[in-house]
Amino acid sequence: MSGAAQNGKWVGANLPRKEDNRLLRGRGKFIDDIKLYGMLYLKFVRSPYAHARIASVDTSAAEVLPGVVCTLTGAEIATQTNPFIAIAPEPFAKIKDYPLGVDKVRYQGEPVAAVVATSPQIAEDAAELVRVDYQPLDVIVDAEEALNESLLLHEEAGTNQVWRGVFEYGEVEKAFEEAARIVRIDHLHFHRFSSTPLENNAIIGQWDAKDDHVYYWCNNSFPSFAIQFLAAHLGIRIDRIRVQTFDIGGSFGIKITSYPQMAACALASKKAGGRPVKWIETRSEHNISSAHGNERTFRDTRVALDKDGVITAITSRHIDDCGAYPRYEPLGCVIWAQVFPGVYRFKNARIDFSQAVTNKCPVGPNRGYSRMQHLWFLERIVDICAHELGLPADEMRLRNYIRPEEFPYTTPNGCVYDSGDYAKMLRAGKERIGWDDWKKKQAAARKEGRLMGIGIGTTLDSGTNNFGQCQIVNPQAPFSGNSQGANCKLDIHGEVVVAVGSCPQGQGHETTAAQVVADVLNIHPDVIAVRTGFDTERNVHTGASGTYASQFAVSGLSAVHGAAQKLKGELKRLAGFLLETTEENLTLGMGTQGPEIRRKDSGKSVNYWQLANVVNMNSAVLPSELYDVTLNCRYVWRAPFKVPDKEKKFGNLSLTYASQLHIAVLEIDRETYIPAILDYVAVDDSGKAINPSIVEGQVYGATAHGIGAALLESCVYDAVGNMLTATFSDYTPITAMNMPRVKYAHIETPSPHSYSGAKGMGEGGAAPVHTISAALQDALFSSGIIIEDSFNNADSLYRAIVAKETCQRDKLVRIEKRA
Amino acid sequence: MAIKLGGEFEVPRRLEEVYDFLTDPQKFAPLLPDFQGIAVQDDRHFTVKVNVGISYIKGTAEVKMELAEANRPRRAQYKGQGSVAGGSVSLIAGFDLAGAGSGTKVSWQGEAQVFGRLASVAGGLLEPLGKKNIQKLIDALQAALAAQL
Repeated sequence: MSGAAQNGKWVGANLPRKEDNRLLRGRGKFIDDIKLYGMLYLKFVRSPYAHARIASVDTSAAEVLPGVVCTLTGAEIATQTNPFIAIAPEPFAKIKDYPLGVDKVRYQGEPVAAVVATSPQIAEDAAELVRVDYQPLDVIVDAEEALNESLLLHEEAGTNQVWRGVFEYGEVEKAFEEAARIVRIDHLHFHRFSSTPLENNAIIGQWDAKDDHVYYWCNNSFPSFAIQFLAAHLGIRIDRIRVQTFDIGGSFGIKITSYPQMAACALASKKAGGRPVKWIETRSEHNISSAHGNERTFRDTRVALDKDGVITAITSRHIDDCGAYPRYEPLGCVIWAQVFPGVYRFKNARIDFSQAVTNKCPVGPNRGYSRMQHLWFLERIVDICAHELGLPADEMRLRNYIRPEEFPYTTPNGCVYDSGDYAKMLRAGKERIGWDDWKKKQAAARKEGRLMGIGIGTTLDSGTNNFGQCQIVNPQAPFSGNSQGANCKLDIHGEVVVAVGSCPQGQGHETTAAQVVADVLNIHPDVIAVRTGFDTERNVHTGASGTYASQFAVSGLSAVHGAAQKLKGELKRLAGFLLETTEENLTLGMGTQGPEIRRKDSGKSVNYWQLANVVNMNSAVLPSELYDVTLNCRYVWRAPFKVPDKEKKFGNLSLTYASQLHIAVLEIDRETYIPAILDYVAVDDSGKAINPSIVEGQVYGATAHGIGAALLESCVYDAVGNMLTATFSDYTPITAMNMPRVKYAHIETPSPHSYSGAKGMGEGGAAPVHTISAALQDALFSSGIIIEDSFNNADSLYRAIVAKETCQRDKLVRIEKRA
Repeated sequence: MAIKLGGEFEVPRRLEEVYDFLTDPQKFAPLLPDFQGIAVQDDRHFTVKVNVGISYIKGTAEVKMELAEANRPRRAQYKGQGSVAGGSVSLIAGFDLAGAGSGTKVSWQGEAQVFGRLASVAGGLLEPLGKKNIQKLIDALQAALAAQL
């Protein structure tokens, strides 16, 4: 690894990623690289129906195929295990959720049986021999329809409504009475899309009868969460589950909910006599049945504004669609409230929030989880109001942004935004893209009848969540705060070894953790070994460990920093004894024999091998006062949260707030209706960057994901629950071929809530989705179009512009002038 | 994914003859496009096998059919359910017969619901293909009825 410290510090330096040395040479270790003795292969038999009763499952033909070891059915699992625990309160806590459908299937692609064989090919052939007799049932694919309760997905719950709550703050009615204008927006819709990681879900599970342990090698991205579900489901003590993760080819949140497949692999292994069972998800399986992002509909929105276009109040009704099983849900019913007012100053609001199940793939925490839907909604409001009031989009935002001098800013629902300067980001973005020039080009293009639009999207990436928000949706939930563990030690021969409880999927944890420790010990990052990847038996993790919710820079690196500080303290005590001096007379650094501690006065030194040796191999020289020195230091960092007020739904739900401002210039082709991005800028504020190039890379990644979501990627279902975009022919993820060149800019407003000033980042807040919707509306507003959906491709634009089936301003928006 | 079609045609045969033809699986089923075989369970139930080939999805569909309505000589309706290559299909085919001069007017309605991988992967092809195959069936039906004159 090359690279240099910046001003004598590694934190803040553009250090090349340590992990790239092996990853770029094809030496990464992924689950499908692991071959175990006697390993078997699992294939799921999946339902073609979105909703059906399972009359029978006949596995006899599969079982006699040579190479098949065993099969597994939902009915069989139901007799051996407990249903998965539910986060939802009653009545949804009553539902029976198993890894395989037992008496019903509730979405197309739901597993109903599994076949285990000596090769993946035999397992696949055998799966086609399993006969399942289905009795099709009526289907609900629309969450609003589901709330009518004309048909129940989970009879035991007695309702399709998973959760409902009203979030009300300030003086809403008074604000509307005093408003100069009220804008009403009947309908907005945030579409369903997902993530397309290079590596799909992958699991090896082994139920070893010899020690009655369950072993997992997998790429789940929140193993601490998964093992809590698995232990209760499998009926074994949690310390008997070992989970190891290795290199992971992307997750973006959706690998959090792979625990049902993990359970199936363990149960299959148990039935197969303890042989390890591998399941590698195919791309089609991933598309139809891993996890999708939450779909959300916004109804009956009212916006109160004063005479200057300042938003004073908002009311709205939000309906969230969580698919067939609320596995990580209903957390999405509250997580959006981390960014309740977005980047805006309004104080009065009432959001009536409901969530329903439908006959579609269950949702998971897809990048920007739950917050991006709400932030898109707020950006839509701002742009619609700006157009209705005749205000430029930039001016509308400047009038409504939270101001830099107001930070730390307490939102109406009690969240504390740590830092930010949205107006400065807007200035930086406009300068980088050449705003004034594009405005001139746009005016000229419009004279020629061309449909060119310029849009702004401002968004938040809240990081390090307060799990106490779970108690707002379920007061019985025994979670609050947030924590992360790390271990920093000198190994027996004096190597510095750092272990973290995260499971990185491309975020560069190996590099940034080394940078933090290098600064603490004043040594070079090259001599620090960082053990990334989760391993239950390293005993580093806490119940919140994993990689999710834009937090490693704060929670993970704070834990690493704490562990390194502890190690430094022990090293200095030990060196003080060996060098016969005080700790104040010692300095840490790199010597000719590697890392060392040196006396400031005499220059006499002791290196790390000698220090480690005294503790581990030569301990007779130690006085008893130093017996507590282990050079093996675990530190658990805890976020300074309180439990939120469950009744008032009030409290700080997130620790840091990175922000992004994007500007897009695009043009819609008059003949094909294909929208093309002509220019694009992404401005980032993630506080103090630990490694600026890693931050920049993640901004590009989030931008690509968001542009794909806005223009290319949509999970489309037909009326009977068939997913019509199940392959990459129809669900067309963005690639280098259609990714526009993105201009990057950044500002830094350091967070006062992290030791380094860094903010969690990486999810990106789906800024491109907001920005492209804004640009499309800018191009089409004069044609009577309001962008009402977050997904807009040529087909949907044709239906809006030519067929006039959607997005018609006269049907969607009304404005009431009061003054 | 639903495919709905309907239409009417006339054949120079008596109502009863047309009805008896339509409700005889041994005569009716072989007219299905890509017909492979039939197994009759009783006078109302039979299973037909047809070849399916849409894009790369190829295989044999086994469709369990039931003569759900048999109102001689005015109306007959079949209901069927089958599976192929990770997908399923449910179908309803109804025939309403009325006298037309010395012949019979056949008003027909067909509805197919396709589920699973077949719909997900080949959804865009299904409707035109379904229409084409149903038209083939109707053409074959007309030809067969005419040939028996």
